[in-house]
Order: sequence, then C-alpha cells, then structure tokens
Amino acid sequence: MIVNQEQGMLRESVAQFFEEQSPVSRLREQRQRPVWESYDRELWSQMVDLGLTGITVPEAFNGLEFGWMGLGAVSQEAGRRLVASPLLSSVALAQNVLLNCASKRQIESYLPRLLSGEITASVALDEGRFSDPGAVLVTEQNGQVSGSKVRVLDASMSSLIFCVARRETGALGVAVVATNDESVSITPTRLMDLHGAAAITFAGVPADRIEWLDGVDVARGLEHAIDQATIVLAAEMMGGARETLERTVSYLNEREQFDVKLASFQALQHRCARLYCELELAESAVAAALIALDDPASRVSAQASTAKTLANDVFSLMTSEAVQLHGGMGVTDEMDIGLFLKRSRVCNQLLGSSSYHRDRYARLLAF
Amino acid sequence: MTEDALSIFRAETAEWLDLHCPTSQRQPIVREEQIWGGRRRVFPSDDARQWFEACRDKGYTAPDWPVAYGGAGLDAEQTKILKQEMSRLGCRPPLYCQGLWMLGPALLVYGSEDQKREHLGAICRGEIRWAQGYSEPSAGSDLANLKTKAEDCGDHFLVNGTKIWTTKADEADWIFCLVRTRDVAPKQAGISFLLIDMASEGVSTSPIPLISGDSEFCQTFFDNVRVPKSNLVGAINEGWAVAKELLNHERKMMAAFEGMLEKPAMELLELAHYALGVNADGRLADPELRSQIANHLMRETAIAQMGERIYKQGKAGQMDARLPLLMKYLGTSQAQVKDELILTALGGEGLSMDDESVAPAGVRKMVKQWAFNKSLTIAGGTSEVQLNIIAKRALGMTADGHRS
Repeated sequence: MIVNQEQGMLRESVAQFFEEQSPVSRLREQRQRPVWESYDRELWSQMVDLGLTGITVPEAFNGLEFGWMGLGAVSQEAGRRLVASPLLSSVALAQNVLLNCASKRQIESYLPRLLSGEITASVALDEGRFSDPGAVLVTEQNGQVSGSKVRVLDASMSSLIFCVARRETGALGVAVVATNDESVSITPTRLMDLHGAAAITFAGVPADRIEWLDGVDVARGLEHAIDQATIVLAAEMMGGARETLERTVSYLNEREQFDVKLASFQALQHRCARLYCELELAESAVAAALIALDDPASRVSAQASTAKTLANDVFSLMTSEAVQLHGGMGVTDEMDIGLFLKRSRVCNQLLGSSSYHRDRYARLLAF
Repeated sequence: MTEDALSIFRAETAEWLDLHCPTSQRQPIVREEQIWGGRRRVFPSDDARQWFEACRDKGYTAPDWPVAYGGAGLDAEQTKILKQEMSRLGCRPPLYCQGLWMLGPALLVYGSEDQKREHLGAICRGEIRWAQGYSEPSAGSDLANLKTKAEDCGDHFLVNGTKIWTTKADEADWIFCLVRTRDVAPKQAGISFLLIDMASEGVSTSPIPLISGDSEFCQTFFDNVRVPKSNLVGAINEGWAVAKELLNHERKMMAAFEGMLEKPAMELLELAHYALGVNADGRLADPELRSQIANHLMRETAIAQMGERIYKQGKAGQMDARLPLLMKYLGTSQAQVKDELILTALGGEGLSMDDESVAPAGVRKMVKQWAFNKSLTIAGGTSEVQLNIIAKRALGMTADGHRS
C-alpha cells in the first residue's frame, strides 16, 4: 500500500498498540469468557481512545478523516494479530450503513455515540446459509418487523441492531432496533475463529420501537456501505494472510530435516514463492479498492467484489498451505496457525464468498 | 516537475500527437503492419511512414533516452504521460525493436561513448534491427553454461558456436551475443557481451517451426566470424552484468506483453458471447466459464493494479523492491489462463489453426496465439527460474541444501 505520512504514523502506532495489547495469545482468552462476550471491553475502550472509531469519518462529524487507506492499514494490523473487536461490525459496517442510509438528523443522533464508544451497533444482514444482501425475508408488516437473521457480528455486545428488512413498499430498508427490546431475542454463538456472532429473531417489533433510516436512497446507500465494509474486511484478511506467510517461511528457515533447513527444498520454495505472488496480487486489488473508496466519484462495487474474491482465495490457500508446511505442528492447537486457518474460513463467508462475488462481478459487467 | 508543468506537457503532447498521427495510425495494430525497422525496412503505407518519421524526428521512438542519442529526454512521469496520451488517442507504437527494449537500456549503462553514438541513434531511427543471442542448445535456464566461443586474435575476436531462440534473427541486421572468452569457474566469470553485424561472413540463420505453425524463433550459427574488438560492451569477461541488466528489461517488457501484442479479433468477453451465446435472462450461457472468466478478469485487473502500485511506490520513494520480481511470473501465467479460456469457449471452432472451413481467420489467429503464448512462461527466464529468484530474494529462503 502507499500511505501518506499521517496514515503511516497511524499504522505504526496501531501496530505497536496491537503488538503490546492484543497479540494472538489474547484471542485465546476468549475461550475463558462467556459466549455473549465476543470481545474484550477493556481492549475496545483503548481502541476507542486511540480514535479508531473515527478514521474515515469526516472532520465535520468530529472524525479523524484519515481516509480509507488509514482504516485499511489499521484493519491489516488487526488481521495480523486476529484481534477480536467491533472494528468490522460497528465501525466498518454499522457506522457506514448509518452514514450512507440515514438522514442528517439521524446521523447526528447516533454517530457521536458510536464515535465516543458509548454504544456499538451491529448490522443484521444475513438470513440464509450464504451471505447475499439481496436475499431478505425479514419484513415490515402492518408496521411491525418480523423474521430471523444469522451471523450478526458482535450483536450480544451491541446496543443497537441495524436490521436490513423489506419495507411494505417492497424496497429494502434499515430498521434501528434496540437489542434490549422485548420482541428481540438474541442467541449468541462463538464461531470457530473465537469471534462472536448471533442469531436474532424479531418477533413483531412494534412500529413505535423502530426507527427506519430515512436517507435519500437507502437501497443504494446500503449497497455502498456493504462494499465499503467488504473492502475493509478484505484488508483485514490481507493482514492475516501476510502474517501466515511470514510465520511459515520463518518456520521453514528454522526447521531441519535430512540435516538441512526445510527452506532449502525447491518444492517448498516454489510453493512459498507462488503464495507470495498471490498475496501481493490480492494486496494490489485491495489497495486499489481502498484508494477508490477515497474518491467519492468512483463506483466501487466491481472493485469490492474483486478485492474480496482475491482476499478470500489467497487467505484460504495460504492458511491451508501453512498448516501443511508446518507438518504435524500445523494441526496442533498449540500453534497459532490453526487460528489463522479458522479465521480465514469465517471471513470467507462474511460479506460474500468468492462464488457469490464472481457471480456479482459478472452481473456488474453484464455477462 | 511540478503538477502545473506536467499538465502543460500533457496538453502539448496531446496536441502534437493529434497533429502528427494520421487517422489510419490510430487503428489497433495488426502484426503485418508493425514497424520493426532495419536495413530492409518497408512501410505498409505512406501514413505509417509519416507517423514513424514524425516520432523519429521528435525522439518519441525512445522517449526516455537522452536527446544526444536520438531520444526525447523525457523523465519517468513525462514518459508515462506520453504513453497515456498515445493510448487515449489510440496511436500505434511507432517502432517495435529489441534494440529499443533491451539492448538500448543496457548500452546506456554499460556502453562506451562511441558505442552509444554508433548504435543508439541507429536504433531510434529504425535503421538497424537487432536480435538477441543468449540461449544455446545446452544453455537455457542455465545460461552461464554457454559455449559459443570468442577467441582473442589481436585486433579482433574469432567467434564460433550457435545461438538458439534468436527471435526474428532471419530479419535482423545485428545481434547482441553472450560469448565465452575464457574457461573458468564460476562459469559467469568467463562471459563477455559482444555486438555482431549479421552481414559478417560466417553468420547464418535458420527459422525453427513452432507449435503455432509460425517460426518467430531461429537458430543462428557462427562459423569463424571476425568481430572487431571495439564491439565488446563492458570489460572483457564481465558480460554477465550487462546480460543481467538487459534481462531485467526483457522481463519488464514481457510482463507488459499484452500491450505490445496486436489486438485480437475479439476481446475475451466478446468472444465468449460469440461462442456461447446468452441464456434466457441475458447472461453468458455457460455458468462455469462465466465464473472462470470473471475470475480471470479480476486477476488481470489486479495485475494491472500491481503495476500501478509499483509505479506509485517508486514515485513516492516507498519502493518495495520485491514486487517487480513478481510481474513476469504473474503476467505471463495469467495470459495463458486467458488463452485457455478462449480455446475452451471456442469448442470445436478452436480445433484448427489453418482450415478456413473450421473457423474464420480472426478466430484461427487466436488459436495460433494460444499455442505461441506457451512460450511466454519459458522465454526470458522460465517461471521456475522466476520462482527460484522470488523464494531467494523476496522471501529469504536459503538456496543451497547445506546447513546454514
């Protein structure tokens, strides 16, 4: 990535912060927490103090306005250490759904609280086995919202749910619902990557306890917000993939068999060299997509699908290869490689699999 | 240069191109109309000659070379602007030449003043066409194993041996060669870089028929060829450094190969629609190929974005020196993926290179290209050699099998 001086300093300070406060070993502590506690609140409040809730937010709304390359850099550093936090769920997703779909009044009402860390919000998007923002069955009927959502990230820690639902008009809408509403039941789960998501049932939430986001073009805004979050997630995945490659190469440079370093075998060199090519190829697509996000005039949907597809594919391949190249150690829980493997598979399904995005890309290019 | 100066340059360049590039020279290039220059050069049309001569006189055949040697003396940003404007207007490349892409850049670094004056101008002016003499029948990936011998005979070298994969050598005037000037270990330390006039007595060339049915590559033989000592580039026995400089340029050129090629009869998506048709909801009828084509287009875009990333890093002084190592491997591999998609989509129509009754000429040309492009991952350093280099230099994996 090319970063300006401010973004470079941000990356360095965040890398140092995560290195000290949230190395991969911190993720393992999730196993000792109750299931509903999907991240460490103390760590999150430190992240808020660093300003990480406001990286892409314009200064007019009291944000840092460091741009999407800045948020991309922070997400990569988080991805390198598998940090569990609402950076994706509340900052990349919910905040941008708000900014793109809400009226100015609504933004002014919710954004300051999201920025200050007073509240977090989760976007309830997925309903079926696969992520597909177009497939929405949760509906508004007689003013009430009913239906079920799955894989709502960090929902059990959030104050608000931004629920994507079909309005009575047939258009897509975003309903803001409090998580403590009596018609909302949240079943938290801990996914295999030790990050948290929840299944949510909305049992006829009455109209007076729903606030519909009423920006200019909610459907278009939602699509853009999802593209933004998809690109940020791809950046996080690149961090994970890069960390996995570095750990693997350094393992091969240390481990000896047949009286030589494993890294001296050409079969292994070529595998790593190919992985590195794939890594930098995907990184180039992700960086280009982040740059495109900074330009309000550019249409980013095809770039978002490209970035996510390449990130999905390289993170999956990288982690599978890493397990194999670590030999027996690769399948032990003691090594961190397994955690990267699991995170990659979870990320693959979040905000669209490669299969979904290849098909979407083809549709965007009219074939 | 300041942004202001660059935008003035862009405007002036666009104006100059618009004034000098005839409409016929703004059509996509076809192979038969590429200008390769040389003693036997011919122009397919008066327009082609006029466009070439305008570029030659302006220094635009080699825009980033110094004016003193026939270039236009442009810096990297200006060169990029020129290329962007040419591409925007659809201007054909005025000159294709190995001298331009490979020998020239190496001569600029290693050539003597006399050599630069003698050869660079002749390259820019399209007067001399060059071939490359590197590989030999027993020196491919192990290039340093080359055996073509240049014996020191006082005022000249006597050259004996053979060079293979000498692209278009049957149409070239001069050839730049790696020759053995002493037998030592390591083998690299006995290699020199020599310029040979192919009109010299004892030089002969024969084309090699390829799987594409064409013969772009030749074998060139040297039988007691006398070469003046002044044709040695760099110091004696230090030709390996010159060769490596030149190989870097060749790999860059091959990574950008797509831009140099003639435009195919149909772009991939157009061809897929032509061959497969659409289903009821207007989408490409074969869902598997649709997905594979989408994947290819994404990766092709990402490769272009990587080139842009490298350029921007260089400009910002944040260069990651490992990235350019990847471009040849990625670019050539992806070009072959595209060729396979074309062949697969064509089905039965892709099964002949020369039978009019099987497919029209444009389609058969694409089939030939598929076969020819198998050489992309071999020429200029095989993919396997590229991966060796990447593992060693970018990832720091130890090259030898010894305990370190």
